[in-house]
Amino acid sequence: MSDQLEQSFVQQLKQNQNIIHKICRLYTSGADAHKDLFQEITIQLWKAFPKFRGDSKFSTWAYRVALNTAITLYRKNTRSISTVEFESQRHFISQEDYNYEEEEQIKLLYQAVYQLNDIEKALVFMYLEEKDYAEISETLGISEVNARVKMNRIKGKLRKILNP
Amino acid sequence: MEELDLLKKDWKKKENSFSQLSEKEIYKMLHRKSSSIVKWILIISIIEVLVWTSISIIYSTDEYLKSLNHEELVIYFRVFNFFNYGVILAFIYMFYKNYRNISTTASTRSLMSNILKTRKTVQYYVWYNLFMIVIGLITGFILAFSFNPEIGILKERMVNEGKYMAITIGILILSIVIAVGIFWLFYRILYGILLRKLLVNYKELKKIDL
Repeated sequence: MSDQLEQSFVQQLKQNQNIIHKICRLYTSGADAHKDLFQEITIQLWKAFPKFRGDSKFSTWAYRVALNTAITLYRKNTRSISTVEFESQRHFISQEDYNYEEEEQIKLLYQAVYQLNDIEKALVFMYLEEKDYAEISETLGISEVNARVKMNRIKGKLRKILNP
Repeated sequence: MEELDLLKKDWKKKENSFSQLSEKEIYKMLHRKSSSIVKWILIISIIEVLVWTSISIIYSTDEYLKSLNHEELVIYFRVFNFFNYGVILAFIYMFYKNYRNISTTASTRSLMSNILKTRKTVQYYVWYNLFMIVIGLITGFILAFSFNPEIGILKERMVNEGKYMAITIGILILSIVIAVGIFWLFYRILYGILLRKLLVNYKELKKIDL
């Protein structure tokens, strides 16, 4: 692959790296796992880059490839993440101190999201990123109706986890 | 669901809380695939040993020697086998160490030197195996000619007629060359592809490191 292609990829990835960081936050716990997933996504993006023709924005394309990588990898991994590992999440959730109660609630919310499966996480991710259903459906390769139904189901599921 | 909105608020707030990677770090990530290549070298070498071992269990030299009525040689073969497995295990250990090194190194420079080291180890490993194949074949021929009664007639002829001697030796040498050639090709395909990938990766790393 040519140097120019590589250079353009690295630059665009650098500008859009938060997308990957955010996906890592949702799919992994702990700094090492975050780094591993980040690297894996970067490599997958790089592999797919020659096929990226620029008819969509780099970020849109990156969402798709990165999420699919996370979903596939997550499937190979064991599904359950132990609650012990979970404690390590605390460091980034409680960086700043503000309303303790809200803080607690957010922590519980993250924990609840962690219990969702790979595709559900992807939907939550898109939701948090404020993507509309059209974009969600395109990125995840499901129909818009299906995305809506899934999202509703996820909300129900989260409610159940939060208020057992 | 208002909880999700709370999460969204928090999510946005932390949008920029990630430590940012530099271009150089991203470049490096693209070339870290070395560790997966080295992992494959390790896996293939282990599979290879398992295959050879199972073949040698099915085809036992002990039985063959027994059929030749020279059981006293069994011990030599055992020693030879132990030595051979020892060396191969040492190689596998080195592959493992290379793999560990490559997947944990942080600096481009040490990654490069580790790649070179791995390539060398694999090359030595292939040469060792080819050498052992030659030794094995020669031993096999010597055994057959010295002790196998079925070859006795041929031996008598060889002693009497120079032409037979030349033809036989020619055939033996040819079969060694062919066997080594086949194995060489086999290793070239098996490890050659991985080694070439490592080399490509090495060259790319060199460019970054300038």
